[in-house]
Amino acid sequence: MKLIIGGTAQGKLEYVLLKYDVQKNMVWDGVLPNDRKLNKNIVVINHFHQWVKSRMVSGGCPEDEIMSFLDCNEDCIIICDEIGNGIVPIDPFEREYRERTGRILVQLAMRAEEVERIICGIGQKIK
Amino acid sequence: MMVLVVGGSGSGKSSYAEKMAVSLAQAGMRKYYLATMQVFDDEGRKKVDRHRKLRNGKGFFTIEQPVRISSALEKMEDGDRAVLLECISNLTANEMFSEKKAMTEIQVTENVIRDIKMLKEQTNHLVVVSNNVFEDGITYDETTTKYIRAMGKINQKLAALADRVVEVVEGIPVIIK
Repeated sequence: MKLIIGGTAQGKLEYVLLKYDVQKNMVWDGVLPNDRKLNKNIVVINHFHQWVKSRMVSGGCPEDEIMSFLDCNEDCIIICDEIGNGIVPIDPFEREYRERTGRILVQLAMRAEEVERIICGIGQKIK
Repeated sequence: MMVLVVGGSGSGKSSYAEKMAVSLAQAGMRKYYLATMQVFDDEGRKKVDRHRKLRNGKGFFTIEQPVRISSALEKMEDGDRAVLLECISNLTANEMFSEKKAMTEIQVTENVIRDIKMLKEQTNHLVVVSNNVFEDGITYDETTTKYIRAMGKINQKLAALADRVVEVVEGIPVIIK
């Protein structure tokens, strides 16, 4: 698994599409594919933070769900906005959302074979 | 040696800073943890518990010091010491907003930096944790903007004082200085 992080509108998806020659129809936007084993194509999960938020809203457990997804799709690329670099929000849900997303990303970064941070469309390999 | 560790919410900065403080402390050196968070509710208590668990068994003496951080020196025993201060964002907020009238950003910057210089002079190793509160693209009210500006100035001055500056990104240390 490769993890791509960075601020919003930094060209993360374009970077991935270009670098890994991924088919656009293999990009999942804010959702995980239901079909657990998607033959040999590389799956890209874009806007991963939105998926985390939607799972939280539905009362799911994004921490466990993403790990079991990865058990079946070890070769995927996960793209996520950096959302933790701000003033701690007053709203408790927003606070929890940032905290949990950050902690999930730490787990993903540990599991990833490569972590890149995208700034101004440029990738900086940090792992 | 002074190390500044910065990162966002849930970035893994605390856990990294603790490991750094433990690895810097030589045998016989006392390890102190300066806690700055004022606990008002359950969420705060949970956060404190989580951090306590992380530190458990690592031999830190905890000193609660929400303001005037250099006063913590009076509560330490003589001798060699390694100090972990967590974190500048709470300390700055406590200093800035503890009086009826909010302190100006210049005042709060001067106070915090003066205190940390004192800490640095009187410790063998100092690890300071600060927050990246600068990248959410939101325009805040005047008071919060002042706080963000103070944090920015303080971080810059701390980075200048520090021998090493590390940004923790998703648990991964990125060396800045």
